[in-house]
Amino acid sequence: MKKHPMLKYLKEEAPAGPRLPLIMCPGCGAGQVLNYALHAVDTLIREDGLRKEDFVFISGVGCSSRLASHYLNFDSGWTLHGRALAVATGALLANPGLKVIVLTGDGDAAAIGGNHFIHACRRNLNMTILCINNGLYGMTGGQVAPTTPIGRTTTTTPYGNVEEEFDLCRLAQTAGAAYVARWSTAHPHQTIKTIIKGIRKKGTAFVEILSQCPVHLKTAPAEMFRDLKKNTVPLKKAGKSEAKGRIPVGVFCDIDKPDWVTRYQEIIGRLERVESTHE
Amino acid sequence: MSPNRTDLILPPGAHYLQGSQACAEGAITAGCRVYAGYPITPATEIMEHAAHRLPQVGGRFIQMEDEIGSASALLGASWAGAKAMTATSSPGFSLMQEVISFAIMTETPLVIVDVQRPGPGQGYITTSQEDVMQARWGHHGEGSIIALSPASVQDMFDFTLEAFNLSERWRTPVLLMAEETVAHMRERLVVPSRDEIQIVNRTRPKDLGIAPESYLPYGHAEVPPMAVWGEGYAVNHVSLVHHTDGNVTRYNSSVHLENVSRIHRKIEDHVDEIARIETRWLEGCRHLLVCYGSVSRTGVEAVLEAREQRNIPLAFIRLKTLWPFPERQLRAIVPEVDTIFVPEMNLGMMKHPITEALRDRCRRVVSIPSLGSLHSPELILDRICEELA
Repeated sequence: MKKHPMLKYLKEEAPAGPRLPLIMCPGCGAGQVLNYALHAVDTLIREDGLRKEDFVFISGVGCSSRLASHYLNFDSGWTLHGRALAVATGALLANPGLKVIVLTGDGDAAAIGGNHFIHACRRNLNMTILCINNGLYGMTGGQVAPTTPIGRTTTTTPYGNVEEEFDLCRLAQTAGAAYVARWSTAHPHQTIKTIIKGIRKKGTAFVEILSQCPVHLKTAPAEMFRDLKKNTVPLKKAGKSEAKGRIPVGVFCDIDKPDWVTRYQEIIGRLERVESTHE
Repeated sequence: MSPNRTDLILPPGAHYLQGSQACAEGAITAGCRVYAGYPITPATEIMEHAAHRLPQVGGRFIQMEDEIGSASALLGASWAGAKAMTATSSPGFSLMQEVISFAIMTETPLVIVDVQRPGPGQGYITTSQEDVMQARWGHHGEGSIIALSPASVQDMFDFTLEAFNLSERWRTPVLLMAEETVAHMRERLVVPSRDEIQIVNRTRPKDLGIAPESYLPYGHAEVPPMAVWGEGYAVNHVSLVHHTDGNVTRYNSSVHLENVSRIHRKIEDHVDEIARIETRWLEGCRHLLVCYGSVSRTGVEAVLEAREQRNIPLAFIRLKTLWPFPERQLRAIVPEVDTIFVPEMNLGMMKHPITEALRDRCRRVVSIPSLGSLHSPELILDRICEELA
């Protein structure tokens, strides 16, 4: 049987036994996102001369974060709920040459990790944040998230959600991320291209990927997949009547500016020059 | 990255420094090149000195958004190969407990300094020893911890350096349980010559000739060799109960027991190697004073006074290491005594493990508490005389 081309990047077998299949429920979008991310990494290894050991995957806690637990044949850290971006920050201070990819979810990044999220975007360290947004807490059983649409019933909003939802891309853009984009699991080619651009980007790249949770939303995966196409609209059509009630997808911003380490080293370099003129 | 400027570390010889500065200098001498912190009184001077000094020696400093972020950043820095540290004070230390627990389970070397202030709540911003139990029991779950207790500016340098060595040697987080008193104290510090300073670095799998294919991130030895990110070992750091290869599936309670017991034992089975105590006048003593941190400075004065002026056969023990608790070391040297006095800047915390260790060696253990300020020698001596009258 022909193997999936991305299997080479996963740990199928390991000393203590097999690690696959992924823990994700049937029809979940997290596996798709992993596939897209690995396609992007594969392209960068082939085209940019990067090596497998240049990449590090860091995650927090939740369905999305489970992807970086022990499946990856890459360096990885499966960290604390909400803290992946702070861990990534430390890793980049120690070794700015690493290609850091953070796998996070809407609850992980926008609720418990909200503070780290806005500050990571503001600092503009050289990392790529992939946020799998399924609009709820999947692993704990389908509770309301900061991204749950108003009015929706969940296990903790049994009469309907009264809170307005976060627009994570607008938040990332306002906070200062260099590159911000949104796609969905139903946009594989766009997502892969965007992740490649994000990793190539000097600075913080935030890519939100809308995803389906068929289990907690009690809807067939194929139907949810169709809805993700139907309910999204290209960003450039955002003001038009056809965009009403639909979620804009595309690239929100793509700015060239120095990342944190470049700025830090510039200042240190200046100090060293001052020091050498005094010698 | 800027070159590692070991020529710019604090030179050997005598210096006059604040405890906080000595702490940051000790870290830099130990090889610390990443500092992530968040301001809090009375610990801020450590981060200010780190911000000033780290870039000079080729390191990086960052002020994070909170204490949780600061401690979390150390994880990433350590996995990426750096020696990393943060310093905080008691309320911030509470926030870091989640990361401490995580670092124990993932066996991540890092150093956290707690310049203790009194609580509960905001309490006050003066001195305290009220976190000594939090240091050991504050984190969720099993897992031992190493915690040191400095008493001078010299200790702030030496113990910080030692904290890094212990964290690298045992692949575990190490706590420096400082107090406002020692952090703000200014006195003479003597830096030993370079060849007298011992620097410990974590064992890497490549040092042992272990190839990536056969590398077990949580195996091979009681203290597993640690691969650094970027070296090609594809290491997955996980805090879920894991097999020696890092696999988290196929959970069962025997894997769980093996996983957590080893992490516990690698500290608790080596207390004699890790923990240090200082003793004086034990021979022929009838009473004993046991203390730690800055209280040992005034405590030793009180003992001297008691022996010389009041003719009380009182001995002195200082715990340089709080955790793992040096129970065996104490039992090996403490003779039968009448009263053990324990002055602490809390309402009697280390009194408990001291009592547990020595209850059959004494008639009673008496706590001498002080909150928010250092005991004067007179306060300690008066209480001793009162009790023995």
